Amino acid sequence: MDQPVVDVKGLTKKYPPATTAVDGIDLSIPKGKVFSLLGPNGAGKTTTVEILEGLRTPTSGEVSVLGVDISRGYGPIRGRVGVLPQNFEPFDLLSPFEAVGYWADLLRVRMGRKDIGSALDAVGLGDRKRVMSKTLSGGEKRKLGIALSMVNEPELLFLDEPTTGLDPRARRDLWKLIEETKGRGTTVVLTTHYLDEAEKLSDDVAIMHRGRIIAQGTPEQLVSRHGKRTAIVLVGAGAEGLKELTRRGIAAVEKEGDVVVAVEDSSQLRWMFAKLSSIEVSYREMYTRRETLEDVFLDLIGSKMEEGVLQG
Amino acid sequence: MNRILSETISFGRQYLRTKVGPFFAFIFPILLIVIFGAIFTSSDGSGISLPVQNLDQGPHSVALMEILNSTGYFEISMVAEDEDIVDYINDNSLALALRIPANFSSDIDASTPASVTLYGDMSRSSFPIAQGVLDAVISQMNYDLTGASPIVSFDVQNAGSEQLSAYDFLLPGFVGLTIMVSAMYFMTSICAEHRSRGYFKLLATTTLKKSEWLVSKFIFNSLMLIFSLLATFAVAVAMFDLKAVLTPVAILLVVAGAFMFTSLGMLIGVVVKDPESAAAISNVIGFPMMFLSGSFWDLSAAPLYLQAISKAMPLTYLNDGLRDTMVYANEESALVNTLVVFAIGLVCFLLASRLMSWKER
Repeated sequence: MDQPVVDVKGLTKKYPPATTAVDGIDLSIPKGKVFSLLGPNGAGKTTTVEILEGLRTPTSGEVSVLGVDISRGYGPIRGRVGVLPQNFEPFDLLSPFEAVGYWADLLRVRMGRKDIGSALDAVGLGDRKRVMSKTLSGGEKRKLGIALSMVNEPELLFLDEPTTGLDPRARRDLWKLIEETKGRGTTVVLTTHYLDEAEKLSDDVAIMHRGRIIAQGTPEQLVSRHGKRTAIVLVGAGAEGLKELTRRGIAAVEKEGDVVVAVEDSSQLRWMFAKLSSIEVSYREMYTRRETLEDVFLDLIGSKMEEGVLQG
Repeated sequence: MNRILSETISFGRQYLRTKVGPFFAFIFPILLIVIFGAIFTSSDGSGISLPVQNLDQGPHSVALMEILNSTGYFEISMVAEDEDIVDYINDNSLALALRIPANFSSDIDASTPASVTLYGDMSRSSFPIAQGVLDAVISQMNYDLTGASPIVSFDVQNAGSEQLSAYDFLLPGFVGLTIMVSAMYFMTSICAEHRSRGYFKLLATTTLKKSEWLVSKFIFNSLMLIFSLLATFAVAVAMFDLKAVLTPVAILLVVAGAFMFTSLGMLIGVVVKDPESAAAISNVIGFPMMFLSGSFWDLSAAPLYLQAISKAMPLTYLNDGLRDTMVYANEESALVNTLVVFAIGLVCFLLASRLMSWKER
C-alpha cells in the first residue's frame, strides 16, 4: 500500500493564553484522493490546513507531508505543493497573465506565453488575462488564486474555500477542474462549507468541531453510519404540521418550513406513508429522499450552519 | 537567480504602476532641487527688501542711499515721512526698515555724531545680512567723509577646487535624503502591506527565500535610485550653476545607501503590522535623521551633543560620503564612509533576514 501523502498523529495547536485550536487530531490522506475537511467557523480547519501547508508551527504532534517530517523544514517539498489560502488577495497591480508568469518563476516552473494562457483558460479567466487584478470581481480573484495554486502541477493541492464567491456555473466548472486534477494523480485537500460540494467531490471527509475530528470516512460511510438512510419530507407543513406529528408520537424535525420524518429502515416506508396519510396535516407535496452529508453534519454538530457560521 | 530577477521585475512593474512610489523616487528630489536651488541662488544678498524713511533730504542722506543702492544687496523703497516706522513694519509684516533722522546731514556738516537706525525682527534671516552690509556701507561713508582709507583689510580665498555655492553643499544632502525616503519608508510600507494583505503568507507557499526577496528589493531600489540621481543631477546642472560633480564613488554610495536603507526598512517591517503603524514608526526614525544628519545644513556649528547624536544616524555617513566625493573630491574619505554605510546595511540585512517571519506563529 502507498505511503499516505499526509500523515498526522496527535496534532495539537495551542494559542496563548488558553486557546486550543486543534486538539490532538489524527489524519491520514492517501495519494490521489480528494479529502475534505468540514466544520463550522472556529472548528480548527484553517489552522490544521495551514500547519499541513507549512505556514504555521504546531505545538505538538507528528506531521508528515509527501513523506517528509515537516518539523525538519518544508523546503524539500515546497515546490511539490500547491496552496490556495482562505483569504487569497491577488497582486492588484499585476494582470492575471503577469501574475501566473511571476508565480511560475517563483516555483521554478518553465511556462511559455501559451502555457500561461492555457492555465488561465482552465479557470475561466482567458478573456480577463490582461486587465489589472484589482479590477477583477471577487469570484475572478478566486479563480486567479486557483490558477496560481496549480501553476506547478502539484502532487498535493490545498484548496481553502475555493468556491466562495463563485456563481453556480463557475462552481461546477471548478468541480470539473478538481476532478481532472485528481484524475492526473494529484491529492486534493479541500476545506469548504458547501456540504454538497464536499459530498460530490470527496473520497474522504473529516468533520471537525472544537478542534477535534468527530467523524471521518467516505461520504457514503458517514451517511450510512450517522444518517437515518431515508427521510420523508412534507413540503410546507411548518410548525403546525410538526406539532400534530409530535402529538401522534412521530419523531420529526422542521427544516425551513418543511417537516422531515426520518425512517430508520426502508421496509418501514410503506407503513409510515400510511400513517402520515391518516393524519390531518396540511402540506403542498410529499416526497422521499436519501439523507445527505448535510443531514449528518447537522446531526453531529447539533446546529445549523450557513456560510460556515453555526446558527443556533 | 531567476526567482530574484522575476521578483525584481514583478515588484518594479507594481511600483511603477503606483503613483506614490515614482513621485518620491523621481519627482520629490527634483522638486527639492528646484525649490532649494531657486532659494539659494537668489538669496546671496541681492533682493533684500529695504524700506527707507528719509526724514532728512539733505545731501548726505542722498549719498547714503546711493551707496546702499550701489551695493546691489537691497531693493530700496520709500516710506512716507509721517508714518510711524515701527507700526509700518508690523502692519506690513516686514523683516526690516531703515530710518534716516531729520538732522542727519546737518549733524555731519557740523561734525556732530550722526546715526541711522535699522529697525526690524532680528530673528529673520535677512536681518543679520542687512546689518552686515549696512555696517560696511557706513564704514565706507565714514572713510569718504574723513578722506581716509582702510589700512587693514582681508581677502577671501576659496580653498576648494572651484567656487562652491551653498547649493553644491545641499545637493548631496538631497540625494542622501531621497535614498532614505525612497528605500526605507517605501520598504517599511511594503512590509506592512505584504503582511496585512497576506502576501507574505502567499510568498511563503513558493520556493522564494526571504533573503532573495530582500535582495530583489535592494536591486530594484539601487537601479531606481541611480536613475533618480542621474535625473536630479541633470536638472540641477541644467538649471543652476552647479560645481558638484557626479563621480563613480557617488554611484557606489547610492548603491550602498540603497542597500542600507532597504535593509533598515525591512528590519522596521519586522515589527509593523499595518500601513498606519508603518508610517508612524518610519517617521519616528526618519524625521530625526532628516534634520540631524546634515542633509540641509552643516552640523559642525551645532552643539556637541547634537554632533554626537548625528554620528549615530546612518544617513550622516551617506551624506558625508556623498559630499566628500561630489563636492570636496576627497575619494579616500568617501570610500571610508561607503564602507561604514555598507557595514550598517549588512547588519540590518542579516537581522532582517533572521527576524522576519512570513509564517504565522
